[in-house]
Amino acid sequence: MSENEEEALKDSNGNTPLPSDDLQAIVELFNASHWRELELEFQGTKLFLSKDSGASPQWAAAGATPAARSLAAPVAQAAPVALSSAAVASGPKLAEGQVVVNAPSLGTFYRSPKPGAASFTQIGDLVEPETELCLIEVMKLFTTLRAGVKGRLVSILVEDGVMVEHGQPLFVIDVNG
Amino acid sequence: MADPSARRQRLFIANRGEIALRIIRAAHELGVETVLGVSAADKDSPAAREAGRSVVLGPAASRDSYLNLDLVVHAAVSTGCTLLHPGYGFLSERADLAELCAAEGLAFVGPRPETVRAVGDKISAKAVAESARVPLTPGSGKLESVEHALQVAEGIGYPVITKASAGGGGRGMIVAYDADDLRRAFDEASTTAREAFGDDTLYLEAYVERARHLEVQLFGNGEGRAVHFGERDCSIQRRYQKMIEEAPAAILSDELRAGLRAAAIDLLASIDYLNAGTVEFLYDEPRQKFYFMEVNARIQVEHPVSEQISSHDLIKLQLGLAMGTMTLPEQATIGLEGHAIEARILAEDPDRNFMPCPGTITRWIPATGPGVRVDSAVQEGSTVPPYYDSMIAKLIVTGENRAEAVDRLSEALRRFEVRGIATNIPLLQAIVDHPDYRANAISTKWLEDVLLPAFQTEKAA
Repeated sequence: MSENEEEALKDSNGNTPLPSDDLQAIVELFNASHWRELELEFQGTKLFLSKDSGASPQWAAAGATPAARSLAAPVAQAAPVALSSAAVASGPKLAEGQVVVNAPSLGTFYRSPKPGAASFTQIGDLVEPETELCLIEVMKLFTTLRAGVKGRLVSILVEDGVMVEHGQPLFVIDVNG
Repeated sequence: MADPSARRQRLFIANRGEIALRIIRAAHELGVETVLGVSAADKDSPAAREAGRSVVLGPAASRDSYLNLDLVVHAAVSTGCTLLHPGYGFLSERADLAELCAAEGLAFVGPRPETVRAVGDKISAKAVAESARVPLTPGSGKLESVEHALQVAEGIGYPVITKASAGGGGRGMIVAYDADDLRRAFDEASTTAREAFGDDTLYLEAYVERARHLEVQLFGNGEGRAVHFGERDCSIQRRYQKMIEEAPAAILSDELRAGLRAAAIDLLASIDYLNAGTVEFLYDEPRQKFYFMEVNARIQVEHPVSEQISSHDLIKLQLGLAMGTMTLPEQATIGLEGHAIEARILAEDPDRNFMPCPGTITRWIPATGPGVRVDSAVQEGSTVPPYYDSMIAKLIVTGENRAEAVDRLSEALRRFEVRGIATNIPLLQAIVDHPDYRANAISTKWLEDVLLPAFQTEKAA
């Protein structure tokens, strides 16, 4: 995994067992709170949130989980935390305010609701949390993937019709856009 | 061994841990490409690194990754695989997996779907055994009266056990050693059954006082021919989980051994069994009789002990049969020699009620040397995730005879060093060094009834 990648969270195996919806909710609650720091461990996921850009979690200081790195400041500006799961080694480099939407499971990636139809979204589109981005198909069962955040679609990282893996980055959304 | 003219074969491995690694290596030896489907927790596992390619199916939880049948088959098809090996556990005994593979044009490394279904259900498996004239535990149909019960018991021979037709959970189950016992047991069990289940119907079965778990390793060609690779004695168990297995079963006379193997062959041949399978028997040591228990339509954890005494690579044979590049060997060419024992090394703490101990392995020095084999998927620095089975390695030793194998296992366990997590190695050592185990005077209850109480008392002292 890339050294300079900001990793909001990961467990010792580098995965994110918590659904991203839940994480989003936790981050929103934290932003709305008067707390300065939050450290949470849940089913193997370690989450550290801080409004101090220099802060680092205790486990990183102790070196217990070398893979875990501190989350730098984006929360200070109340922007959503970049939910980059490290499931795919070469995650995209993100500018501040950009978040990644990952594949929820392995499956075939489709950008349009059916063959020949227009794509759900195009680069540059403004998206709402409920905006449909793509379909993930597993043995003819199609699951709709939604943006989860409000922002502008900055990039689409995979080709239409290819197999994607669980945790693979699919879209980058700029929440300041 | 790879035939360059053959169609390029690519195998999907729908499993994890040591068996995934074992299958990957066997496939690579045959020139078969491999794709491993992993959960997010296993994406950096040794098996993931050794596979030709690994794909992340889903999150750590088994139901969202290894147990998700559609996800597994989708991954196999999308990665261009031609074969799928299910390993053991997870989806390995799901007839619908074998069916879905067939529908998607993937060769399933295992029996046909209808076979998996027929032997997977206990009642239909018993019917299959019965029609192949494989002995079942002697028992009765519904008992009409005490007199009927006494008559049946004379036929079976004491001891017998009453069971409630409607029930389970041990209620209505009373052991009777003679006719007087049985008269009392019948009344008491009827009353219990009526109160517990609203139905006082009872039946009777032979009670096995000292049982051993014996099983025969077989392969079938799918056309009515089956061969065996010897039998295994898997009587060292805790809560029906095998802990130590050995081959052959040293307890059997030549006559009983031949009978056991023949019964297992008849059973699988009668259903045109294809690929690897095991027939499990309960061996009643006092009566010197074996009774059918079940068929496992897959490769088993303990297959290495059969490999060690037969000098056959059973995983390669599974793959070869599935690809059509190998034929089933003739029985006469399968020589059986020596004695092999497998000890399952578990990340469990026997001092804390076998609590699973996931964590990071800080030191890993497996035993090595002549006659010592370790099948494992962990190494120094590996993390044992908390989501799956606790088995981290299988220590397999082979000797000329049982005594040599036991000595070898004892020494190998002494040298096997694991730090960072607790394991059951001290318990395995205590088992192997116990006079009862050395004398092979054990049963399926021995570990729980004899060794564990002594082991725990000794620890407390």
